[in-house]
Amino acid sequence: MTLAYVPGNSPAHRLDPRSKLLVQAGVAAAAYAYTTPRGLAVLTLFAVGCLRLAGGDARDVWTYRFAFPVLVLAPLVAGVTLGAPWFRPDRAATTGLASYRVLLILVVAAGYVRSTPVRESRAAIQHTVPGRAGQFLGVGVALVFRFLPLLKRDLLTAREAIRARGGGARPVRERMRLVAVAGVNRAFERADRLGTALNARCFAWNPTLPRLAFGRADAVALAVGVGLLAAALTTVL
Amino acid sequence: MIDLNGVTCQYGGAGDGTGITAVDEVSLTIPDGEFLIVAGANGSGKTTLVRTFNGLSTPDSGTVAVNGTPVEDDLVAARSAVGMVFQDPRDQLVAATVGADVAFGPENLGRSHGEIARNVAAALDAVNMTGREDDRIASLSGGERERVAIAGALAMEPDHLVLDEPFTGLDEPARRSVVERLEERRRAGMGVIVVTHDLRDVLGLADRVVGLADGRVAVDATPEAAVEALPELDVRVPVSADGDESGDS
Repeated sequence: MTLAYVPGNSPAHRLDPRSKLLVQAGVAAAAYAYTTPRGLAVLTLFAVGCLRLAGGDARDVWTYRFAFPVLVLAPLVAGVTLGAPWFRPDRAATTGLASYRVLLILVVAAGYVRSTPVRESRAAIQHTVPGRAGQFLGVGVALVFRFLPLLKRDLLTAREAIRARGGGARPVRERMRLVAVAGVNRAFERADRLGTALNARCFAWNPTLPRLAFGRADAVALAVGVGLLAAALTTVL
Repeated sequence: MIDLNGVTCQYGGAGDGTGITAVDEVSLTIPDGEFLIVAGANGSGKTTLVRTFNGLSTPDSGTVAVNGTPVEDDLVAARSAVGMVFQDPRDQLVAATVGADVAFGPENLGRSHGEIARNVAAALDAVNMTGREDDRIASLSGGERERVAIAGALAMEPDHLVLDEPFTGLDEPARRSVVERLEERRRAGMGVIVVTHDLRDVLGLADRVVGLADGRVAVDATPEAAVEALPELDVRVPVSADGDESGDS
């Protein structure tokens, strides 16, 4: 439903962001280690469980739909050959599984974004990565997560404006061009306005970050994250 | 205190004076605690002028000082002393929830967690939004967003609060609510600077009115005196200078 934090009191909302980041890393590692359909089926249940624990559902995953065409097209492109037999299903299947792994990571990421305020993500990164590098990463995360929801809203507004004036009857290609042009224009304007807003409110490299503290539930999340990473490591050792 | 001396701002051109002049040789002194209205028609230079108060715009010539310090020498001090509320609050709100957004400024100033909590509580109280910390910004009405934007500026404890066309797009109850908040700030001794082309809501609160035309100060007077001259600048004024009866110019 959203690319931004949604206030709530779900189990995932109560977790420390560092635990959630570790679980995400564990899922990503496991998805690349266990590439069989069976392994991915287990991870699918796990990823959906993570999203549900954050109070999310399929609508949250739908917000990542801009990535879906790439994930769907990639296996088709991978299977095509320049000569006979023209299409190699085995290659397409391998790439299809890779696409599916990305989808699983997006599902878990949707749960993370939904349950974690931007400033907590920034704090988690700056606590984990010390010094200037952590500050740089933290600022990057803070800006990206602030900018993306605004950009998404602008694109939807552009699409609605086109529809409201009968643009929905135009060919798909033409509509895509119109939304893309309006979207790029608005993205630049939005970036300018966001920059001004951040300046006006003294956006700082090293602000007072929220206090982070592990709770009892974090012990479970950390164990799951470490377990997933360990399971992934066993496949390469 | 905000001091402007011979401020000129231009858009476009090559920095050689060939651009369009938005603000032209403006000199002003705005004491602490003053309720000032900056009035003028669209394109008269109002927004450009107030953006120089805290360094969001840099003058091509002239100087701006806040509390005796040139703005460019200490931008953080200028921006914490002169809080800015943009014309469209959606441009200003940068977090997903009310509490996180109001806390954004004090966090950037490096205040302690206790101070931040106090600042947020006081700012939300000042705009009548106590207990709304966890509300999503996206779910707020236009008037509520305006109030959150004001709270975000107040949380930085500025000496002056600048509001750029604060009544645009607001219905009557929302306008009244914003006016009441401004009245309270005035009573609390905070300097308030309202940029507007329509004085009907705020003239009764003002200590002074500055009218701009083509980037120049055309009027600098008490509300009673200004109300005679402002219609010539395409500014809407109330029938009486105390703002009680509303009417078009």
